[in-house]
Amino acid sequence: MTNVIEVKDMHFAYRDGTEALKGIDLNINSGEFIALIGQNGAGKTTFAKTLNGLLKPSQGYVKCGGIDTNQKRVIKKLVREVGYVFQNPDHQLFNNEVGKEIAYAPKNIGLSDEEIEERVNEAAAVAGIKQDYLSMHPFFLPKGLRQRVSIASILALRPKVIIVDEPTTGQDYRQSVEIMEFLKKLNEERGHTIIIITHEMDIVAQFAKRVVVLCQGKLLLDGATKEVFAQPKILEAAYVKVPEATRMAQALTANGVSKDVLSADELWIQFQEAIGR
Amino acid sequence: MGKIIEINHLTWQYTDTEKPALVDVNLDIEDNMFIGVCGPNESGKTTLVSCIKGLIPHNFIGSYTGEVRLFGKNIRDLRAKELAEYVGFVFADPEAQFTSMSVEEELAFGMENIGLGSDEIRERIDWVAKITNLENLLDKSPYDLSGGQKQRVAIASVLAMQPKIVILDEPTSMLDPMGKDSVFNICARMKEELNMTIIMVEHTMDRLARLSDRLILVHNGKIERYAEPEHFFENVDELVEMGLNPPASIVFLDQLKRAGLYEGPMTTSVEETIEIAQSICARKESVQ
Repeated sequence: MTNVIEVKDMHFAYRDGTEALKGIDLNINSGEFIALIGQNGAGKTTFAKTLNGLLKPSQGYVKCGGIDTNQKRVIKKLVREVGYVFQNPDHQLFNNEVGKEIAYAPKNIGLSDEEIEERVNEAAAVAGIKQDYLSMHPFFLPKGLRQRVSIASILALRPKVIIVDEPTTGQDYRQSVEIMEFLKKLNEERGHTIIIITHEMDIVAQFAKRVVVLCQGKLLLDGATKEVFAQPKILEAAYVKVPEATRMAQALTANGVSKDVLSADELWIQFQEAIGR
Repeated sequence: MGKIIEINHLTWQYTDTEKPALVDVNLDIEDNMFIGVCGPNESGKTTLVSCIKGLIPHNFIGSYTGEVRLFGKNIRDLRAKELAEYVGFVFADPEAQFTSMSVEEELAFGMENIGLGSDEIRERIDWVAKITNLENLLDKSPYDLSGGQKQRVAIASVLAMQPKIVILDEPTSMLDPMGKDSVFNICARMKEELNMTIIMVEHTMDRLARLSDRLILVHNGKIERYAEPEHFFENVDELVEMGLNPPASIVFLDQLKRAGLYEGPMTTSVEETIEIAQSICARKESVQ
């Protein structure tokens, strides 16, 4: 696996002196599906914004595809490495046509008209945005589709890593699963490294392979999803609750149920084995 | 306890739409209840609560048949002031309802509008700030607060009007888990201590299932279920089919029932479900 992001002893302080990140070390490899979790104010969004050079570390470094984000004039290269999708698509979308919205970033990095058209069509197709929609105003689309437009506008840069901030906020369960299945497809079929920021632990359990927990600007836990959720006491200190099915399995370990349970279905299978059915 | 909300054969269609948003809805809600409203997006949840607040038909154009009665009075005959006194409404996005540059002014806004005296306004601000834990934030701009604090301001400004019914439309969808907990806790207190009736629309089922006296499932403009949580979660498969994500403990208990391992009543409590599972394990061990 090739390393796509390397974070070394990274600190970040806002102008008013608030130190939001206090010495983070993290390596991310190509093809990973990571959930970044922690309570509000833990530093999740700040951290994500340092990964594509939107914010520059005040100490230590972040390297994306080997490029140090602190170097000058690297932004054009960085946007091809890491794309960041805002939590609220309405904060990101500003063009009056979906097609122009998706074309905006490729245009900005100086690609040719032909190349731009090719990328817009490709990104729209991957994101499941029909050709008819390309001439529509993004604000007249339903929220799920607006979210896809904002992801497509990032996809058009063909970044290796895509960060999506709270992909499921305000969506119902079915829509949440749909957007997550789409990210899974980008990860498995197109090889993008995916990082999601979320509070929905059921979504984390179902989709993320690795979980990174931030607490007060520091890295509290980092590991495979099952390993991280197996430590409810530490997570509690970061105000993170494990999924309900995991919590139930952990209460039933004395009865022979494995604590490595992430869903109600897994819980039921484990329970049947434990009682010898 | 008397019925305070009665909906009889209500059908409503927004103008310029192909089909009605609500179809022949019948619903009675009794005083001092915590009612959870769930269902997929676009199913008619917001439309339903807008009818109880009187936003429909007063502020929307469309075709309206049937009737909604609040405290026995037809909502069509109620004036804006009376409606404001009966029902408060909290939106998903608190900023959508902010109009002022300080929390205190924000809380005063609605009361000034119904013409309360300044002493009364002062008293009520102190009272709601205490309940919603905003005492130290009164001078701040509502826009400078955290998501959870903003939503508490929105709730406090509604609470200050002392309505009998408070409707909250996805009040926690933008909040983190701690913010969600704080909103649910305040709503529980409003019901218990202030004897209000709470109607809350929510997607995440876990907190709602455990706090509600009754749950309503809205699907395709119809009320498909209206029951106490213990009965609401019978036939979990059907709920999943309609786009809900029932809490894991309830799905598990349903599986125990279907496998013939448990015959007792349904519960929404995780702790009780764990105890049920433990006793099944203990029974198996003693047989072996």
